[in-house]
Amino acid sequence: MNARSVAILLALVGMYIAVPLLLGPNLYVMSLLVASIAIGGVALAWALLGNLGGMVSFGHAAFFGVGSYVSALLSMKLGVPVFAAMFLGGVGAAVASIAMLPTLRLKGPYFALAILAYAQIFRILATEWKSVTGGSGGLSSIPRLPEIAGFDFGSKVGNYLVIVTIVLIFALIYERIRASHYGIALRAMHDSEDATRIVGVNSTFLKAMMLFVSAFMTGVVGAFNAHYINFLEPDYGFSGLWSTIPIVAAIFGGYRTILGPVIGAVFVYLIDQLVFKSYIPSGHQIMLGALLAGMVLFSPTGLLPWIVEKFKRSRHAAA
Amino acid sequence: MLQLDNVTVRFGGVIAVNGLSLSIATDEVTGLVGPNGAGKTTLFNAISGLARPSAGRIVFNSVDVLKAPVYRRARLGLGRTFQVPQPLSRLTVHENLLVAQRFATGSIDESRLREILAFVGLTEKAGRDATTELALSELKALEVGKALATNPKLLLLDEVLAGLETVGKRRFMQMLKDMHAKFGVGILIIEHDIETISNLCKRVAVLNFGELIADGTPEDVFRNPAVIKSYTGADHA
Repeated sequence: MNARSVAILLALVGMYIAVPLLLGPNLYVMSLLVASIAIGGVALAWALLGNLGGMVSFGHAAFFGVGSYVSALLSMKLGVPVFAAMFLGGVGAAVASIAMLPTLRLKGPYFALAILAYAQIFRILATEWKSVTGGSGGLSSIPRLPEIAGFDFGSKVGNYLVIVTIVLIFALIYERIRASHYGIALRAMHDSEDATRIVGVNSTFLKAMMLFVSAFMTGVVGAFNAHYINFLEPDYGFSGLWSTIPIVAAIFGGYRTILGPVIGAVFVYLIDQLVFKSYIPSGHQIMLGALLAGMVLFSPTGLLPWIVEKFKRSRHAAA
Repeated sequence: MLQLDNVTVRFGGVIAVNGLSLSIATDEVTGLVGPNGAGKTTLFNAISGLARPSAGRIVFNSVDVLKAPVYRRARLGLGRTFQVPQPLSRLTVHENLLVAQRFATGSIDESRLREILAFVGLTEKAGRDATTELALSELKALEVGKALATNPKLLLLDEVLAGLETVGKRRFMQMLKDMHAKFGVGILIIEHDIETISNLCKRVAVLNFGELIADGTPEDVFRNPAVIKSYTGADHA
């Protein structure tokens, strides 16, 4: 077994056994952990769109909100089982992203601005479509995650295990896409789109696929969140924070890597809630801003690439 | 056979290609020449789909490709290189060819890729970063290799020899001659050097101000007074 396999095995043991055993009784810390990993899931989906699709999105709140509403409504009004509803929440977000296909011809800030506008449109729709969404009053008593074979997935530990599994599956999907021929072509498209089209790459199709995948992932996380907090309103489900915090997390952790955004989300969220908040209860986000600015200046590629580089150097020095 | 009928390309008020009609065979090497600004690269862009003609028809092997997207034209067998090499960024030389082959033909044939790499002289550089680790002559070779990997029936070469020193140019020219024979691909080449064109092509088309002013053998074309005037600005004495 090589070093990489050992590291993966240790990480899995840590995530699936050590964390629930050590932190499970501490409901507050577990809730913070669940929230941070959920943000990590959105950050990973955002980074996939940026890295493979070459698109910087400021509108992932749209996918998050659509996923959460679709899942909540399906489970509440049609009695769809929660896990199936969560999957369909992701499908709903992917379907919603079809409306954004015209924006794919835009580049850089124009795409970012257009997709931000779409997020606002979806928020307004959720507010005004009162007969279905409950309007600004929102939805309450959204079904929690179920109990299966005697294990309560609605418990804090159950919630944690579900979101960890979701994010790990997303990371595997991301890795598979990146390693595929499609991933290689997508990598090339960033700075040389005409050159890729001229050799037969349907760049618009590939970008659309990345938008669907990213929207699906974000929608599933949104759906999970709806069943986790059991309440939903448009200003929360479509909050701009679901667009901006994942960006902060992804850039902090290293958006060019697959797990960097997740590690960034967990680090940023936990340090903010557990450390900064205790020193500056009101306005603790200022510390977060300073931390991000410091990281961007100190290591523009992010936390994970910095750690990997340090590790490589120390091994090189020891050899 | 590539058939252009009355093709016109406009950029606002500027007519870059004006009602051009031309047939290009896929079993020979044809030269496309003309002074700077004659519309040669714009015509290549129109054929490959990067520029949209405002009028006319473009038919390739009996398929009307005027409205076909760029990638579909590549899959139909219209290969192309750029005047300024455009390697696929963040990829190795081998990955450049792999992407071209995979997406243009729908499959991967590693032995064919090795054959192409050897043919363009990049076997030793297969693992190098195509954007940062190649000299100009190697980037030009990669352009040709990438285009060959798409398995083209007609290859549009845009000033592929420009910027090369004499020895490199001679070697490259031999490669183009061999390519026509070895891969059975038709070539339409833009080139300024008359000697090169005369050497490579049995037929030459001349553009000036977006219009076809001559079409024939190199001997006839380069003696044509209209062609001489287009280059020198003066009547042939």
